[in-house]
Amino acid sequence: MTPTTPVPAQWPARFGDELYRFALSRVSDSETAEELVQETFLSALDGLATFRAEASERTWLFVILRRKIIDHYRRQARATHVGLDEIGDGGPTEADFFVPENGHWTGPQAPVSWLHADAALEQQELHDILQRCQERLPPQQEAVFALRFVEELSAEEICQELGLSSANYWVIVHRAKLQLRRCLEKHGLGKN
Amino acid sequence: MLRLINCQRATLLLEQQADQDLAREQRVNLWLHLRYCPYCNRYAKQTVLIAEWARTSAAARAQAGPVLSEAAKERMRERLATAG
Repeated sequence: MTPTTPVPAQWPARFGDELYRFALSRVSDSETAEELVQETFLSALDGLATFRAEASERTWLFVILRRKIIDHYRRQARATHVGLDEIGDGGPTEADFFVPENGHWTGPQAPVSWLHADAALEQQELHDILQRCQERLPPQQEAVFALRFVEELSAEEICQELGLSSANYWVIVHRAKLQLRRCLEKHGLGKN
Repeated sequence: MLRLINCQRATLLLEQQADQDLAREQRVNLWLHLRYCPYCNRYAKQTVLIAEWARTSAAARAQAGPVLSEAAKERMRERLATAG
């Protein structure tokens, strides 16, 4: 591979589409995605000195964009961050899924079989439903879910990024999964 | 100590188990719960599927989606030129 010297003026044309698609796959709002790409270019320009010629310019820009996306989720989670005792994000709590007295599934919430889930829905349809369900989560849960399961940060990293205790982190992940499961089931996965 | 745990606890342990090793006691309690609870067994499979789908669905969107408008690219070029 021949060493490359980055030419910032060419970045939008050479890498803009790819970076934008990536950003849009994470944030789903076109304006925010565009901002993330713009910020990526500006940060890259600032950090031109840190670019090593043997690395790929494209990979380098993606590393910066990924960092921007994590920052985006951090802001989203922190903006809705609440006290340690009450993760009162306005969304459903454990009591909406389990009988408070004994902790067992309440009748209507008990998981039904998804045995033929894959066959029942087109892949594309499944992806669309999941995306919509993710967007319906309270902002903090949406951010934590995305950081863990899409960006694949570790629980420890997420707690650090978001200033969460481990106990609160697990409450958030658990609630997010409970709601996504229910949302998916409501939108077709349970019918077979 | 071996004890019966409820579904709320079992599903939380399932989430934790995907990420970290559970203490022996927790592991045994979860195993025991899953022996008799069909609902949490379903949850166990479904929660793994949800994680998988979240990843693959974002990856699919990153491969095929709308592109930047020429106007947006032009705006970015201008910002880069002013900043540089």
